[in-house]
Amino acid sequence: MINLYKKKSALIAALVIFIAGCATPNTGYYWENYSGTLYNYKKNPDDKTMDKHMAMLQKIINKNESKGARVPPGIHAELGYLFAKKGEKALAAAQFQKEMTVYPESKNFIERIYKMLELGGDN
Amino acid sequence: MKNIFLLIVCSIFIVSCGTMTQTKLDAYPAMYDQRQPVSILVIPAINKSTAAEATDYFNVTITEPLSNTGYYTMPVEIVRDIFLKEGIVDSAIVKGMPASVFKKNFGADAVLFVTINSWDKNYAIIAANVTVSLDYVLLSTTTNEVIWSYSSTVVLDTAGQSSGFIVADLISTAINTAVADYVPLAKQANYQAFVGLPHGKYSLRHGQDGQDTILTELKDSALAEE
Repeated sequence: MINLYKKKSALIAALVIFIAGCATPNTGYYWENYSGTLYNYKKNPDDKTMDKHMAMLQKIINKNESKGARVPPGIHAELGYLFAKKGEKALAAAQFQKEMTVYPESKNFIERIYKMLELGGDN
Repeated sequence: MKNIFLLIVCSIFIVSCGTMTQTKLDAYPAMYDQRQPVSILVIPAINKSTAAEATDYFNVTITEPLSNTGYYTMPVEIVRDIFLKEGIVDSAIVKGMPASVFKKNFGADAVLFVTINSWDKNYAIIAANVTVSLDYVLLSTTTNEVIWSYSSTVVLDTAGQSSGFIVADLISTAINTAVADYVPLAKQANYQAFVGLPHGKYSLRHGQDGQDTILTELKDSALAEE
């Protein structure tokens, strides 16, 4: 009986934790449909799906900035990476710089991306 | 939506028979001292299931829940491209490397390995679901120790709610299973996995969730005590 009670309270605890976890994230980030456009781009990588995902990344940036929230991790980096793939070096560099400003701990990672892209740059 | 959540919670409960409750602090003490990471490098998922497509579902949906828990998460797709450029096509190879490599090359405080052990689609008349078995292991790149881990088997429901008409449901199920969007399901599984993860630097709950209780696997020592 005690065991049963324990299990029941465990279930309630899990439920409470889970419901709490579904509310507005404690980070305040807005993700829009990030995983949806990323999946489509990954599944069928072409100009159309790439542009859609880039538009989504820009939308996420605008939304978080307008709501006074921090732009989620990696969003600037990912947009910069896609700009670099399109040969837009200046736009790429601006996004990489923003990622490092918002998240100083991303510095080594951004440097690693530069190395992969063989862009050199000021990093 | 509420029904889906309830179903998920219940399914977690059903497969959690060998579990007990613990505070997060007791379960993962390393996540409450200087060993707690700020930045996490997510290694592209290791897929041991028979469903090759499952890898992408998890890779595209892991950043959101992990970041929402307060960590700086490096975009998995970029990490994957860097690995490919280095000739690493299989994440399983990465598992054998000392974690310090990722501190040096990426500035990551921790690396997260996700293993998809199974991804089995089950079809029934008015419902369809996917049984997913997952392992998550978070390794400190400083001490090379496991600072957090999670393992579970969950049942995720793909079918919409019943319309009350069997024929309509039959058609609906057929359509759902044919074109089912598994991305939201993988996202759910990733979200569930991180419910027990202590909150990181960018979360309002950072350092305040030590007394939250979670369900953890009954350890061998605990079994011996009974």
